[in-house]
Amino acid sequence: MTVSELNKEYRAVLVEKKQLNEDTFYLSFRCPDIAQKAIPGQFVNISCSNFLKRPFGVASTDVANGLFYVGVKTIGKGTNSIASLNEGDMVDVLGPLGNGFNFEGFDSFILVAGGTGVFPINFASEYLQAKNVKHTVVQGFRCKSQIVMNRPEYVLSTDNGDVGIHGNCCDCLDTLDLSLYKNCAVCCVGPLPMMKAVGAWATKNNLKCFVSMEQRMACGIGICLVCVCKLNAEAEGQEFKHVRCCKEGPVFPYEEVIF
Amino acid sequence: MSSINVKVGDLALNSPLILASGTCNFGHELSSYYDLSILGGLSSKGLTLLPRLGNEGCRVAETECGMLNSVGLQNPGVESFIKNDLDYMNTLGTKVIINVAGHSIEDYVGMVSRLDQFSSKIDALEINLSCPNVRAGCMSIGSERDQVSEVVSAMRKLTKLPLWIKLTPNVTDIKSIAYAAQEAGADAIVLINTLLGMVIDIKTRRPVLHNNTGGYSGPGIKPVAIRMVAECASVLSIPVIGCGGVMTYEDVIEFMIAGASAVQIGTGSLVHPTLPVKITEDLIDYVKKNDIDLSSLTGTLRMW
Ligand SMILES: Cc1cc2nc3c(=O)[nH]c(=O)nc-3n(C[C@H](O)[C@H](O)[C@H](O)COP(=O)(O)OP(=O)(O)OC[C@H]3O[C@@H](n4cnc5c(N)ncnc54)[C@H](O)[C@@H]3O)c2cc1C
Ligand SMILES: Cc1cc2nc3c(=O)[nH]c(=O)nc-3n(C[C@H](O)[C@H](O)[C@H](O)COP(=O)(O)O)c2cc1C
Ligand code: FES
Repeated sequence: MTVSELNKEYRAVLVEKKQLNEDTFYLSFRCPDIAQKAIPGQFVNISCSNFLKRPFGVASTDVANGLFYVGVKTIGKGTNSIASLNEGDMVDVLGPLGNGFNFEGFDSFILVAGGTGVFPINFASEYLQAKNVKHTVVQGFRCKSQIVMNRPEYVLSTDNGDVGIHGNCCDCLDTLDLSLYKNCAVCCVGPLPMMKAVGAWATKNNLKCFVSMEQRMACGIGICLVCVCKLNAEAEGQEFKHVRCCKEGPVFPYEEVIF
Repeated sequence: MSSINVKVGDLALNSPLILASGTCNFGHELSSYYDLSILGGLSSKGLTLLPRLGNEGCRVAETECGMLNSVGLQNPGVESFIKNDLDYMNTLGTKVIINVAGHSIEDYVGMVSRLDQFSSKIDALEINLSCPNVRAGCMSIGSERDQVSEVVSAMRKLTKLPLWIKLTPNVTDIKSIAYAAQEAGADAIVLINTLLGMVIDIKTRRPVLHNNTGGYSGPGIKPVAIRMVAECASVLSIPVIGCGGVMTYEDVIEFMIAGASAVQIGTGSLVHPTLPVKITEDLIDYVKKNDIDLSSLTGTLRMW
């Protein structure tokens, strides 16, 4: 391996910060390598005020300007410290990490997002759009004030019926005319109960489904084994196996995950 | 003059810096970040006779100055390692150290006799008598002087490979245990493995780790490790290898002054995968500026 092919830990500058709602921010960092290499479903590990880095799904890239974007929902010390960075501040960042969505072998996609899953799903949608691949984005939120990364063409639901379909993502999915989606796969990023329900919906409709898992991480690069997901291993003669979320994941076929 | 070469017994290392077990897997991942041949050595993930799935549920909890893990020795088992990873480790251009764990004396004996069949591909066996994350064995053997003697003597009969005994800090008298290991035939003592700890989520009032407790590592444990290295180095005639909280070249030097012949870095690599590159460069600068051989620092501590 020549030196230029080696993975690096980058210093990246925060170029722009936008507040999307009460607790959610959209940040762009300059790192041409990550902008160029990242594919949807992959994540970056960003330094914060705490000891360990924090993982975030890549939300978009701007290859021409060498930027990558992440959406950050503040839930604790680490995410709050990242959200309070100022434009021009530097972070350490590793990435792009993990295996993203493998779109090969399918002709159309239903992309389902909930919670902070709207960010990686945004990247997936942009990516497919650029390649002119038919896809539909379905978003589920708790209520109107939570809505971020929305576009008019998206199918939208809110739990309380504020806007869009009153219900959850599966209620949205039921409104789709599946005959319009040839050789279709479902990609879902969101809270566990949602991914479980969407996976079950896809299975019922004979569609392949991919989900993106979140686990607490330390290294993000596969060397510490703290981040494992429990996967079905009947084919290997075992009840289950533990697979690194950061390295073999975070995207896994729904049917392999033991929820 | 001004070299960073060191020796651990008869084993010559081109740097004192060794990647600590469980924080570098078998080298595959980190070798995509830097050329591992700059290191003194790489210690494999702890291996057991049979594959282990490790603990379920949350396995990591962050602290102010480090982290707790409860991986529970997830590993593919020694046979899979021999088939899939041992040859790979030999391509890395650094010393190959195999970390061996078990639940009983029979486990350790079984592992050592099997690995001894590949002695030409192994530079040292690091015997982990110290993992806090498995219910029986490991740490419980490592906390009893007589059991340490027994297991080390048993392994000594089976191999000529250097036996590095990695001890748990979760004991009251580390010196007597280290001494027992030396008298039973150990070639070096590795200090320290993780400290047993707990982190509680105050919202749920439950431990963050689903194993309840875990092993504390990182900068927070360095003073404990330094103290134990200094105490043991003062009574042992075999080399001591320091480990615990290394983040900078100054930490490496501190361990060597305390009595370490070589120094391992664990959690530091998890935070910054290329930290060992920076530390190596800084050590080279340091010996040049001071015109000394790094190895001359070992055991130069002057107690009050
Ligand atoms: C692959 C992946 C992609 C992610 N993508 C996004 C994203 O695009 N946008 C976003 O806002 N968040 C995302 N997350 C979740 C985000 O990493 C956590 O919210 C963040 O780590 C919390 O840190 P904290 O210090 O604020 O929270 P605290 O609760 O104080 O953190 C305590 C510890 O738990 C860990 N932790 C807490 N919640 C999570 C979680 N959900 N997943 C993993 N680790 C957690 C933290 O990293 C830290 O080590 C992603 C997580 C993963 C694993
Ligand atoms: C995630 C993780 C896994 C570990 N696994 C092992 C192991 O398999 N065998 C072992 O002897 N030590 C293991 N350790 C302990 C380290 O090798 C080292 O002794 C300890 O972490 C202290 O050093 P540090 O502060 O530099 O990390 C592990 C540590 C961590 C953080
Ligand atoms: S976070 Fe270290 S292996 Fe996944």
